[in-house]
Amino acid sequence: MCGLCGVFLTETHWTDVSVSTPGSGGRTRRHERLHRVALANRILKHYGLKLTDWHGSAYLLGSQTGQTAIVPSVAAVWPAAEQLRRRPLDPLDEGLIEALERD
Amino acid sequence: MNSAPGPATDRVIPVNVLTGFLGSGKTTLLQRLLRSPRMGRTAVLINEFGEIGLDHLLVQQVDESVLVLQSGCICCSIRDDLKSALRGLLSRHERCEIPAFDRVVIETTGLADPGPILYTLLSEPVIRHHFQLGNVITTVDVVNAELHLSRNREGIKQVAAADRLVLTKSDLAEPGQTAAVRDELTRLNSSARIWDAAEDPVDVDFLLDMLPSEQQLNSARHRSEEQAPQGQERKTGKPAPLIGLRLHDDSVSSFSLILDRPMDWTAFGIWLSLLLNRHGDDVLRVKGILCVEGTETPVFINGVQHIVHPPQHLERWPTEDHRSRIVFITRGIDQGRLRRSLEAFCRLQVAELSVA
Repeated sequence: MCGLCGVFLTETHWTDVSVSTPGSGGRTRRHERLHRVALANRILKHYGLKLTDWHGSAYLLGSQTGQTAIVPSVAAVWPAAEQLRRRPLDPLDEGLIEALERD
Repeated sequence: MNSAPGPATDRVIPVNVLTGFLGSGKTTLLQRLLRSPRMGRTAVLINEFGEIGLDHLLVQQVDESVLVLQSGCICCSIRDDLKSALRGLLSRHERCEIPAFDRVVIETTGLADPGPILYTLLSEPVIRHHFQLGNVITTVDVVNAELHLSRNREGIKQVAAADRLVLTKSDLAEPGQTAAVRDELTRLNSSARIWDAAEDPVDVDFLLDMLPSEQQLNSARHRSEEQAPQGQERKTGKPAPLIGLRLHDDSVSSFSLILDRPMDWTAFGIWLSLLLNRHGDDVLRVKGILCVEGTETPVFINGVQHIVHPPQHLERWPTEDHRSRIVFITRGIDQGRLRRSLEAFCRLQVAELSVA
């Protein structure tokens, strides 16, 4: 439920909920996870970090220096990423927005 | 005490949170609500017994103890007392110590931050299984609204978290004061419906009914659309009040965004979770309906500070307009930059991946 505290929860985090209508030809759960990882990496690359799926049950966040963290949901990636990089990940940061607009 | 017919624990029980600043009339409103026959099977949890007595079978006091999770934020703390009280209600009913109940109303203290209460209801697994959050009702004392809301951060949070705003003591207000407060509250939380306790008869359905109701979404839509016909950024304020009230500082603003294109739910989730991670304390409320790729019906989202309800599918669009509409109440956040950020995230694309 919470970007900061999601790591403590046992229920599915809201960011991991699929909202595709059943039978609409939407992505499978596996596809959803890979899509989530790919999109998160579009953000994380600006901070020198990379996310991978970890056995379909968690995510592995890694830095270029080999530091890693295992997190249960995409929402839990952000505080872990801030700890690894020791700097805030801010979606309102002008530099990040401009970089995404150029991408 | 014998158990009344009808199981309390076989279905999910709605929980309404009644909040509002000190002396704003929470208990008086509760007293009026409890007179309704529809409230006969309602359990009431109150933080403190005030001067006004509640003559009701199921009233229980809870102490305000907060368990803050390690490295958690304040809004994401578990209200341990509330957890125990709700679990206790279930246990006591199963032991036939109290009658069956089909609704719970929690009356908070006047200084309570609604965040931990909502977080407890939405995150604690046993409670989630048995209870679901209903409307949050916030009372606002018209006479003292300016004083209460300009000096207390909790007061602003209580208004921002509300699904229903109840004006109290408007019969004691100066001419024009009620209209001014109403306008200012609409500016602050345009998605909440306002009800005047001094003028209107008690409407239990209106005050307590579960979200999301289509009327509410319709209302939010009309309010946002009447501000600006074509959709970029829309402030949700109304024309200037009759008298100059300033209930909150200038850094608190309410606005809605309308997005013309269907959005990628995953990209939106990444954006919102990242936004709340960094700015959750200043995103007092997020509420809206989304047009999501891959689904024909709208998805309803509702968040208070760091806490986001599970997304819900609505059965149908409330109108012919199928664009995403999101209302934000924020503090010190640049609206233009928020919109650019959301649009940049929603434009992110990745090649479809093949799965072995």
